[in-house]
Amino acid sequence: MNEILLEIKNLHASVGEKEILKGVDLTLRRGEIHAVMGPNGAGKSTLGAVLAGRPDFRVTAGSVTYDGRDLLAMTPEERSWAGIFLSFQYPVEIPGVSITNFMKAALNARRKAAGLEELKPAEFLSLMKEKMAMVSMKPEFARREVNVGFSGGEKKRNEIFQMAMLEPSLSILDETDSGLDVDALRIVAQGVNALHTPQTASIVITHYQRLLDYIVPDVVHVLKDGRIVRTGGRELVDIIEKDGYAGIDG
Amino acid sequence: MVIGRDSVPSLLRLDGAESVRLTLVVLPGTSAHVSLEVDIDAPGCSLDLAGLYICNSDEDLNLDILVKHNSGGSSSRQNFLGIVGGKAKAVFNGLIYVAQDAQKTKAMQENHTLLLSGSALVQARPQLEIYADDVECSHGCTSGFLSDEELFYMRSRGIPEDEARRLQKLAFIAPVSSRLPEEIAAEVYESIS
Repeated sequence: MNEILLEIKNLHASVGEKEILKGVDLTLRRGEIHAVMGPNGAGKSTLGAVLAGRPDFRVTAGSVTYDGRDLLAMTPEERSWAGIFLSFQYPVEIPGVSITNFMKAALNARRKAAGLEELKPAEFLSLMKEKMAMVSMKPEFARREVNVGFSGGEKKRNEIFQMAMLEPSLSILDETDSGLDVDALRIVAQGVNALHTPQTASIVITHYQRLLDYIVPDVVHVLKDGRIVRTGGRELVDIIEKDGYAGIDG
Repeated sequence: MVIGRDSVPSLLRLDGAESVRLTLVVLPGTSAHVSLEVDIDAPGCSLDLAGLYICNSDEDLNLDILVKHNSGGSSSRQNFLGIVGGKAKAVFNGLIYVAQDAQKTKAMQENHTLLLSGSALVQARPQLEIYADDVECSHGCTSGFLSDEELFYMRSRGIPEDEARRLQKLAFIAPVSSRLPEEIAAEVYESIS
């Protein structure tokens, strides 16, 4: 068995007064891809946001250990430096900030945290070019403001492009398939698969089977009402596709 | 022009078919009452007026901007952007006046403020006084805080909180700061933490 990368124990989290996660347990090893499936409102996106450190989600109980460290004690930027990446369901528009400047700030902050020098401009630009090509993003996107005026598919490709730039150990893909046509879905999935190595792991959050035809999970969890009610293999996806979530309980 | 350093005229008259481009800058630590009137007295004039004010402690700033279209067939556009924090107070009064026979006037005014603290005070009074009937005039005015959504998005990519906030502020002022000569722009950037 590979080394454990992420261990979630009895995780409870609230937004405002409302408890969304009601005791989640999940163990993820390097090299694995886990799917988290579930109906709308089950808490799937909350799980992703809590792992990335979103400040308005309050953890009320439980623990998360990432690569031997107490993840919940880390700021969002520290989590990023440690190799966590969340692909947002709704990528945020940042008017006035170009993708180039955004990625430069992100990459150099990470290098600084690791005690490395900033990338030389030429190195940075060729890296940008290479990673943009990976998700079929046109080079002119480098100059565009982050996500401003992007179509749904362009936003998701931009997420995977950022993932490729940051080369995370743990990527959390939150509904990456939503709003994508088949071609865009294939491009995005190919990008994710190309970045997967025996050292990395992914959590793929999705409502539907569709994305899992392209990104094949090792383990499938079903999240309902803030708890994982079933964990199994690939066959769970087919059961859900056939019978929906209604028939799945602990 | 930097307020408190350069001498800013209180009255500017455009009486030939001329184009004037003027940018006012208020750097942190400047308390002032700035009154500027621009009279457009001839057709074919265009005024491009912008302002940038940054207050971060206890400044008391008052900007009174009056653009008078006395003659038709001219255009004016104004864009004033402010970043106001600490216990500073910034008041913006912007009046566009269009005389009765100043037909075919195009006039636009924007004033947007980024509030950095709950104890800062911003007042904006954009006003239009229009006596001609064939004109295109508009004004827009907003004030708000930095976006938490943007902040989290940037932090999740490893951009430290301070730097993320700085990037947001630089992006906010970019429409005006990009007009500034290099040395003044550098001063502006340095004043933003």
